[in-house]
Amino acid sequence: MICMNVFKELYQYRELLKTNIKKEIRGKYKGSWLGVLWTFLNPLLMLAVYAFVFPYILRVNVENYTIFMIVALIPWNLFTTAIQNGTNSVTQNGAILKKVYFPREIIPFSVTTSQLINFLITCLIMFVFILVSGVGFSIHLVWLPLIILIEYLLILAFNLVLSAVTVFVNDLSHFVQVAMTLGFYATPIVYLPTMLPAKFQWAMYVNPMAVLVEAYRAVLYYHQDPNLQWLGIWGGLSVILLIVGYLIFKKLEKTFVEEL
Amino acid sequence: MKRGITVEKDVAIKVNHVSKDFKLYYDKAHTLKEKLLFFSKKNREKNHILHVLKDINLDIKKGESVALIGTNGSGKSTLLKLMTKIIYPNKGKIITNGKLTSLLELGAGFHDDFTGRENIYFNASIFGLTRKEIDAKLEEIIEFSELRDFIDNPVRTYSSGMYMRLAFSVAINVQAEILLIDEILAVGDKHFQDKCFAKLKELKDSGKTIVIVTHNMDQVKQFCNRAVWLYKGEIRQDGEVDDVLKEYLRVCG
Repeated sequence: MICMNVFKELYQYRELLKTNIKKEIRGKYKGSWLGVLWTFLNPLLMLAVYAFVFPYILRVNVENYTIFMIVALIPWNLFTTAIQNGTNSVTQNGAILKKVYFPREIIPFSVTTSQLINFLITCLIMFVFILVSGVGFSIHLVWLPLIILIEYLLILAFNLVLSAVTVFVNDLSHFVQVAMTLGFYATPIVYLPTMLPAKFQWAMYVNPMAVLVEAYRAVLYYHQDPNLQWLGIWGGLSVILLIVGYLIFKKLEKTFVEEL
Repeated sequence: MKRGITVEKDVAIKVNHVSKDFKLYYDKAHTLKEKLLFFSKKNREKNHILHVLKDINLDIKKGESVALIGTNGSGKSTLLKLMTKIIYPNKGKIITNGKLTSLLELGAGFHDDFTGRENIYFNASIFGLTRKEIDAKLEEIIEFSELRDFIDNPVRTYSSGMYMRLAFSVAINVQAEILLIDEILAVGDKHFQDKCFAKLKELKDSGKTIVIVTHNMDQVKQFCNRAVWLYKGEIRQDGEVDDVLKEYLRVCG
């Protein structure tokens, strides 16, 4: 019953969702010289830096290191940028929340979705890299949509909670920034999970991004099935977190306007 | 319907035992550090609570035009905001029956860098319209705004009058069954104001429910058939426009 209402209202406001996503993607680079091209350039330049730093300076010994890294780094970037933008999304839209009613969850929802679309565009670049480098593709690619979906649901769950709580505690965004830096090193992006000491191995399962990053890597780099057991666990957990996150958001949204 | 409150079929807005308090902050704790420091009881007592609305009961029937009148600070605008669901009551419940649009703040969601046409889409989508519905209304909105020659220019190039005209044109053309209006018709020149007024009359005659907050008693007399007088967060009088206005002017005039 409640579930039906959620979808009914979101469906009613689907045009707002669409225009918001469009505004988010187009508005971000509006007025800049290269415009939407930055969506591609930004990750590309960052990749160049990482591709240079890790194999040459830190000397990680992995075959085709650039591909090994980008198939993890690009999904991780989706996670951090979406969460950082999502955390501030409600406070940034304060002015409009005070003016007019619309389902408030549209805000974190459209920020997360626009980042997903950016990610999908960046994936095209990644695919080019994978092809050119000779790593190529295999049938295991069929798992990719599922992995992306789980990551999306997880981010959405986080963003619902973070965006709502930020209204009441402004510091949260600073904390999130630090947590993301920590998360970058707690996730096997630039290193192999086996390089982690045995006593820290548990982190590879507790950290959902570690599980997801390993799944991306299995599918795109190792050409094998992802660890379905842990992927399944985090898939289930992300759905539960999403429901909990939604309920928290709904509880807090009633006083948004008075707190902003 | 919901939680045991029954809403009669002909009621557009039901305000059921609604109270609203605002916290008055002397100094608001926003960061974690401040929250912790302000947690002590002494500091918390400094924050007064203002009872803006006290146990309001009001049924507005479909097709009625109701004016909310009262002096500044009597809670009129708060009641209107509660009806739009921008804020929520501390106690009680408000149930609306039918699509609702507020003309409280015009131009919500306007983005300066986008064209007038694009902004019509943004603004109308905030009111919950779908693409198809906006497509169907687009011509009418442009026509009403009298901005056809400028509609494909970015709105940052608009004068403030043009901006408001566009915003008002969208708001009034979204085909809501209930319209909430705070201090209408301060938009544009005399010609455009007359046009807006005529449009509102037309909407009223076609059976829309309209709630207006205003200090302009001439407008109330011309436009509404019922007036609700709010005084210090309570309903002081509710009835025929002429009766309520006479009493209101006698006491406050």
